[in-house]
Amino acid sequence: MANIKLDIFRFDEAVDSVPHRDIVAVDVPETMTVLDALETAKAEVDGSISFRRSCRSAICGSCSMNINGVTGLACKTPCNTVMDEQGVIQVDPMPNFQPMRDLVVHMDPFWDKYTRLKPYLQPADKDEDHQTERRVSPEDMKKLVDVANCVMCATCYALCPVVSVDPSFAGPAAIAYAYRFIEDVRDSKREERLAQINEDYLWLCAHCYACSYCPKHVDPNDRIVDVKRATIKDRVMMNERGPRHALIVNKTVKQTGMLAETEVIQGTVGRFNFRGLLKVAPLGLRMAAKGKLPPPFVKPIPKVDEVRTIFDSLEVPVS
Amino acid sequence: MSATLLPEDRPADSHKRSHSAETKRYGFFPGCVAKESCKELFNSTMLLADKLGIELIELTAASCCGASVVNDTNRDIARVLNARTYAQAEALGLDDVITICSTCTGHMRAANKELLENEERMTQANSILGKFGAKYNGGVMVRHLLWMLIDDIGLDNLRKMVVRPLNGLKVAPFYGCHIIRPEKVNGWESARNPHSLEDVVAALGGEPVDYAGKTRCCGFHIQLEKDGVATSMVGQNMRMAKDKGAEAVITPCPLCHLALDGYQQDAASRWGRTDLPTFHLPQLVAFALGVPAEKLGLNKHLIDPRSIMVERDLIA
Repeated sequence: MANIKLDIFRFDEAVDSVPHRDIVAVDVPETMTVLDALETAKAEVDGSISFRRSCRSAICGSCSMNINGVTGLACKTPCNTVMDEQGVIQVDPMPNFQPMRDLVVHMDPFWDKYTRLKPYLQPADKDEDHQTERRVSPEDMKKLVDVANCVMCATCYALCPVVSVDPSFAGPAAIAYAYRFIEDVRDSKREERLAQINEDYLWLCAHCYACSYCPKHVDPNDRIVDVKRATIKDRVMMNERGPRHALIVNKTVKQTGMLAETEVIQGTVGRFNFRGLLKVAPLGLRMAAKGKLPPPFVKPIPKVDEVRTIFDSLEVPVS
Repeated sequence: MSATLLPEDRPADSHKRSHSAETKRYGFFPGCVAKESCKELFNSTMLLADKLGIELIELTAASCCGASVVNDTNRDIARVLNARTYAQAEALGLDDVITICSTCTGHMRAANKELLENEERMTQANSILGKFGAKYNGGVMVRHLLWMLIDDIGLDNLRKMVVRPLNGLKVAPFYGCHIIRPEKVNGWESARNPHSLEDVVAALGGEPVDYAGKTRCCGFHIQLEKDGVATSMVGQNMRMAKDKGAEAVITPCPLCHLALDGYQQDAASRWGRTDLPTFHLPQLVAFALGVPAEKLGLNKHLIDPRSIMVERDLIA
């Protein structure tokens, strides 16, 4: 048995204007989970401690919270992996959400973004008109099983630095779930779904891999890239900055072997988008004043033909 | 100072070459930005190599690593581009390749991992490389200069080489996502709580500043995507550093450098003024090892680091 001291964020939106912290000591075996420690604290010390939980085995996704500042499932985190020498473990509500009471947060923005996706199968015909079962080959199903493991715990959403400054971004889980239907051969709304997720700022993903800490190994970061590839393959909303950026980077790498910064900026913003270019101009001028502007043209690397052979062999759309 | 930095489960063979310490000869992949808008990074790296007594042999015919964007159109292209770079390194007898950019590090390592772990992908890459007579045999290891400094030079040696200690300059580390995440690709140190940059700053006589933003994202890859978002990510992180007393920032990534140095001014309207000067890792190490400040391109920074250096009695 270990004496675990839970350092708990306490807040009740109905009565408190500011949060405070309580330290609650419990005796539990140190191999028990943080959720076990919280349940013991609630049962034996203070019945008012509030947190979400249900399955206790990383299937329901309810108990995501910050444990020593790291977002994850309390039911999947043994105390002895996080407690310090004094047995202290800090628990806080997930970031990127409004706290409601103690470790419980308002999940609405997360669910709103999820329901916008119409997260259900939309086949081309009605089930009653469909004479046979809707078959999916093992290869096609293989693409979907990892994403289907998502338990919607919102760990990725809480970790996302883009959500933290701009809540209009769909967030990793919603994009991963969009992928689940975009790549489902039984679904008939691929185009609408791609357009929808593009409108919800698919391309605002910052490539930071914070969501690679998914407790269910869904790897939303990789699924986001898959949805971007599908967007370009199907040529959806190609005039937006995201696809334009991806294509101009490919183009300059194919032409010169290098990522040509100046051309990429012009190509992404739009060579004739004067308002857009004006917005990047102040930084450009500040850089020019310091002699730091990237060169207007980049000299191709030696043997750049080899790079072009690679692109041509893999049939990358460069336009 | 702790000598062991490495998590026990780190894949040993993907980070260490037994002979590299003796040969002191490395393949060098500078990446695009160090050749374009951050030339001061390239120059400081070469000056640092001189001081360290190592030879950095630039892979001059290498292409862009893919920069996480080439991936967005096609899953194979960046991998094969990097295989071409590795084939060039192998042909030159340079199997230990050093990078100076977090994004290059992560994407080159990811490509290498995919090639080494999947025969089909290696075959695909070599069938394309074969069209121009190249072949990758799978012998290259990619490391960031930061890891090489600690593994091959060693913090103790580095400390002994310091001729201009940083006089307790309070420096906040900013790692850049792709040198730590995903952990299964990098894995050289804990991605949750890395401390290699802190260790280097301390070895140089500076005072590392701990703050929550050090492993967060600078927003570089979405700077052009939607107005204000990446700028705000810069402001948020720099606010945290400033509130913990930082006087300057150090980063191993030129993309982070462009974001932090370029966008703090614009972020001030939402996050307050921070104005933290940002050093490229090799700049600050080279300075402490005696490279004259005027050779480090500090005048190229939008937030000039020289005033805090004067204040700290580091330069006149």
